[in-house]
Amino acid sequence: MNAVEIRNLSKNFGAKQAVCGLNMTVPTGAIYGFIGENGSGKSTTEKMICGLLPINGGSIKLYGKDYTDADVRASIGVLIEAPGCFPGLSVWDNMLLQAANLSVPDAEKEVVRVLKTVRMEGAAGNKFKNCSLGMKQRVGIAMALLGNPTLLVLDEPLNGLDADGMRIMREILTDIVKDGKRSIVISSHLLGELQKVATHYGIIRHGKMICEMTADELDASCRTYVALLAGEMSRTKMLLERKYSRVEEDEAGYLRVYDPITPEEVVTYLYKNGVTITEIKTDKIGLEEYYIDLMKGGK
Amino acid sequence: MESAVTFEKSRFGKRMRSMLKVDFKRMCRSKLFYILIACALVIPILMTVMMTMMDGSVSVDPQTGAETVVHGPENTWQSIGTLPAEEGEAPGGTDVMAMCNINMMFMGAAVFICLFISEDFRSGYAKNLFTVRARRGDYVVSKTAAGFVCGALMLAAYLIGALLGGAISGLSFDLCGLSAGNIVMCMIAKVFLMLVFIAIDVLVSVAAKQKAWLCLCGSLAAGMLLFMTVSVITPLASTMMNVLLCLAGGALFALGLGAVSNTILKKTSLV
Repeated sequence: MNAVEIRNLSKNFGAKQAVCGLNMTVPTGAIYGFIGENGSGKSTTEKMICGLLPINGGSIKLYGKDYTDADVRASIGVLIEAPGCFPGLSVWDNMLLQAANLSVPDAEKEVVRVLKTVRMEGAAGNKFKNCSLGMKQRVGIAMALLGNPTLLVLDEPLNGLDADGMRIMREILTDIVKDGKRSIVISSHLLGELQKVATHYGIIRHGKMICEMTADELDASCRTYVALLAGEMSRTKMLLERKYSRVEEDEAGYLRVYDPITPEEVVTYLYKNGVTITEIKTDKIGLEEYYIDLMKGGK
Repeated sequence: MESAVTFEKSRFGKRMRSMLKVDFKRMCRSKLFYILIACALVIPILMTVMMTMMDGSVSVDPQTGAETVVHGPENTWQSIGTLPAEEGEAPGGTDVMAMCNINMMFMGAAVFICLFISEDFRSGYAKNLFTVRARRGDYVVSKTAAGFVCGALMLAAYLIGALLGGAISGLSFDLCGLSAGNIVMCMIAKVFLMLVFIAIDVLVSVAAKQKAWLCLCGSLAAGMLLFMTVSVITPLASTMMNVLLCLAGGALFALGLGAVSNTILKKTSLV
């Protein structure tokens, strides 16, 4: 059974079509990385999954039931845009209110547990409005984790988190799906971070799903390249461009050759042309580059 | 990877209990609630004392030269409604007590419920709430209940304030031919009538969502339209008939407008 199954979903805001004919499948136990440009329809789709926006067409099924089913919806944890706390109340009180909303048994114990999980137990007495951006984000995550939800929908949960926060977040996410019953839909522009946890991906553009794949499929789709550092970089680049179809210089100063070749071939070619190579390696493009390539229209 | 996932059945009673618990907890922690109750208590005291002091004073319009006599209260119960002896009398001056009496509390309750609901949407709390609660009706019922209790408490506070004001100003507590039962019926009728106003306020608030100013304007406008009918439906000489009329009206409005509020929440964006 799939955790989320969306078929032909559409949503209009007046004349603007935000989502059109979207299909999406999130298997149970998956961490589904939902990727897309700003305004591509990610948040709109997530809001529709959570029942916060009425849909104009299509269907959304959560664990085989319609998304309006009260029983399924009661076990969704959500963090969309902002944590949804009362600014004048303390973190603790906000958490207790949400716990009461969810009818969580032994609410205080549960609030302590989730605050500990996000390392916010020391700041429980702080008023929410006095929390920093990162702290607010952690509170939002803690709130989404209340009552052990079966499905977590997280919209940009990594925003505002420091390095430690991101590491904790990764641990939390992988821990949640460990039992194979829970699933997470997570959208983020921090693709490098997302790649560390996601088991499935969905890439949306202009309100349409342009591709869905597993992490293994992504890995297989990602092109390998040969990266090298040489003595005379500009001359080396010129030589490589003369022989290979795609040569680029990356941010770290490496020259990348994307053609299907082995490092040995490159070394031989450059050696013959009198270039000394100081470092050479093969690597694969990451999710970020794959995504950029896809958006450009070439894979 | 896959394994069976089961979901706990969410029963109406359990859902409503938790929802009401949260709303009443929030209400009890809200400064606005205490400010409104305090206002409901203090306003009749100040009004009665001030109007008693101003009784018989004459103000002259500088342009027309017309004189206006200010009529102060003679009886404590005038803060609640018009006494039978006064009915039919043309005051011939400014009778502030006939306008600014306990019926103002119907407007006060509107302020509470509008700000209460708009805060849900402004803070993003509604987003968390509606994600886990598919049934929008729960929200409408809970807010109506919270607003109703707040309104009822404001009416009670006003009554206490009016009695204290009367005692401080040395006004008569004579019932002028009415019985204590009439006063009790009048108050109960007003409490039931509060449901009508709260149902309107909830409807306007869920339609306006985070726009608090729109909630307030809409609720106060609707309240003002109905304001004059309150003194007619719930006079001091109220009987069981008035109570039943208000109860039926309150129930009808709460159910009817509650259903409309529910539909609005279902059909519109909640973020």
